[in-house]
Amino acid sequence: MLLSDTLRSSLAGVSSNWMRSGLTALGIVIGVGAVVLMTAIGASMEQVILGQISSLGARSMVIFPGRQEGGPQGVGTGFDSLTFDDLAALEQLKTIETPAPVMFVPGVVSAETEEDAARVMGVIPPFFENQNIDVARGRLIEYADEEAALFVAVLGPDTARNLFGDRDPIGKRVKIGDHFYSVIGVMQARGSQFFQNFDSRVFVPFSTARQVTGQKYLNFVTMRSLVEPSLALEDVQSLLRQRHDIAESADDDFTVRSADQANEILGGVSLGLTAFITMIAAISLVVGGIGIMNIMIVSVTERTREIGLRKAVGARQRDILLQFLLEAVALTLVGAVTGALVGVLLAGVISLIVPMFLESYHFALSLPAIAISLVVAAFTGIAFGYSPARTAAKLHPIDALRYE
Amino acid sequence: MTAMTPPLLETRSLGKIYLNDDVETPVLFDVSLAITKGEFVAIMGPSGSGKSTLMHILGFLDTHTSGDFLFQGEQTQAFDDDALARIRATRVSFVFQAFNLLPRTTVFDNVLLPLLYHPTIPTSEREARTNKAIAAVGLTDRATFFSSQLSGGQKQRVAIARALVTDPEVIFADEPTGNLDSASGAAVMEALQKLNDAGHTIILVTHESETAAHAKRIIRLHDGRVVEDTTSFKRRVANENTKLK
Ligand SMILES: Nc1ncnc2c1ncn2[C@@H]1O[C@H](COP(=O)(O)OP(=O)(O)OP(=O)(O)O)[C@@H](O)[C@H]1O
Ligand SMILES: [Mg+2]
Repeated sequence: MLLSDTLRSSLAGVSSNWMRSGLTALGIVIGVGAVVLMTAIGASMEQVILGQISSLGARSMVIFPGRQEGGPQGVGTGFDSLTFDDLAALEQLKTIETPAPVMFVPGVVSAETEEDAARVMGVIPPFFENQNIDVARGRLIEYADEEAALFVAVLGPDTARNLFGDRDPIGKRVKIGDHFYSVIGVMQARGSQFFQNFDSRVFVPFSTARQVTGQKYLNFVTMRSLVEPSLALEDVQSLLRQRHDIAESADDDFTVRSADQANEILGGVSLGLTAFITMIAAISLVVGGIGIMNIMIVSVTERTREIGLRKAVGARQRDILLQFLLEAVALTLVGAVTGALVGVLLAGVISLIVPMFLESYHFALSLPAIAISLVVAAFTGIAFGYSPARTAAKLHPIDALRYE
Repeated sequence: MTAMTPPLLETRSLGKIYLNDDVETPVLFDVSLAITKGEFVAIMGPSGSGKSTLMHILGFLDTHTSGDFLFQGEQTQAFDDDALARIRATRVSFVFQAFNLLPRTTVFDNVLLPLLYHPTIPTSEREARTNKAIAAVGLTDRATFFSSQLSGGQKQRVAIARALVTDPEVIFADEPTGNLDSASGAAVMEALQKLNDAGHTIILVTHESETAAHAKRIIRLHDGRVVEDTTSFKRRVANENTKLK
């Protein structure tokens, strides 16, 4: 029997009872739908995070004092392990460039009647390049400001809006702690990155910060790698360990991070997500597969006489086997394709809603995940359809014809 | 002595015992007969005497349990599933006592079915052959009807068309006129007669002597044994003898 004939017989079997076929395939629909939806969300989130990494620059690196496990949130304060001498030593390293120290200035930021909870950082000009920060209005901190330790400030856009509303803040005064600074610029909006709001910031010259706080240590140092980020990271690490006299077996008293590492963390997260999705998929495909098997058993029983007749007019075992296998696969694929469509549709709906909270979220799909789940679904059809199909194929023509 | 071509179908002391859940039902005993190409055989006998069982064995749908069944001189026990399927597809066909049409399927597709499994008839000939077989039983105007929309006699004719479509050497017909009025019955017998004239071997089961009259040979079963096997020539002689008495 030609494959096309077998396929036609199989499809006739599926379509002869649409309602039942649909209900049978529901397990597969849900399984594949869930996988497609989850991977689509995963793909969208990956784009969000990749977007953040690339806006920071893949070469960007940061050193925090103290051992940090949880990431860069609230870091740097209270640790004094990063010194000015460390900075001088870092400047000699060939694997990195433009190490730029940062020193926090404590105190509330205010202007006239308004206050803002912005974090104030003393920085030198290369800091802005290291962090890919551009100016929107006015100018950024320059070396002249740094050399003269001027009381000037660059505001993040959120801070500027909170303090001055729609008015132009340039040339206005802000108070930080006990000192007044004149505003020289506003930075371009960056949005949230790795859960820190870059737009709620105030930058002042590093020398001014040092003078105001009298602090003897650095809160963190930004820089850019000149070689493979992981190599630069190792270089910085061994330099600081040596400078801090850390024993072979002891932990670092600082943390070095590269944007590249965030990529790795992302990889780990998506690996976890993949395992989770795979589990959901496996469970729902097994459940769906049992549904398919059940209905195929019913179908074979119901059509015993048809099978007998087909054998009586010359069908071989493999013709019958193939017919019922294809029927199971067709059933599964109809379910899988429907599930994929439902998943894509839901991902579309979500991509209409989420950007209200997370601007950089866009509709994305994981095409490999869709392809794999369709293939796996087809194999589920084969695996669970095999036993009933074999039963059908092995029937004796006359026994099958006599069946009532 | 000239080399003889072996008979198309031959049984030697063939027996059949049905086995269902350890219950043995012996149905055929010591059946020995040979059917050659081109014969028109009627199998007769009371209900339950084993006519259908014998037909199913001769038609490769069922297997015997003792003795021998030879096809063109070859032992059929040696045939594997594929070989049996090929014989069913190309050499023999069946008109069942209970029609056995596919439900929810048109007359055309029912008649087409055996061609789907025929190993040599090309796809391009399918439609023409199907239409020809439907025309041969006078159902051209019903070709697109579903089998549920047909009368009993029409269903019987569809079953015959299906048996003709592959142009097999042997056609088995189990009570082909049993469900028909005498006019339709006569039409069916005429169709089978034409096939026999064209060289096909016809083996049918019947209760009716008018139907059996078409046959050149009658095999009579009683309780699973052959009690009479006569050609029409011998029958005529026998009849005349009784008349003379
Ligand atoms: N599958 C089976 N299992 C057990 N016994 C069977 C089976 N099929 C038929 N028989 C028995 O075999 C005997 C012969 O049956 P068969 O159908 O061959 O008779 P028949 O001569 O065709 O009768 P009818 O004229 O009524 O069609 C019957 O007694 C029947 O009960
Ligand atoms: Mg019978």
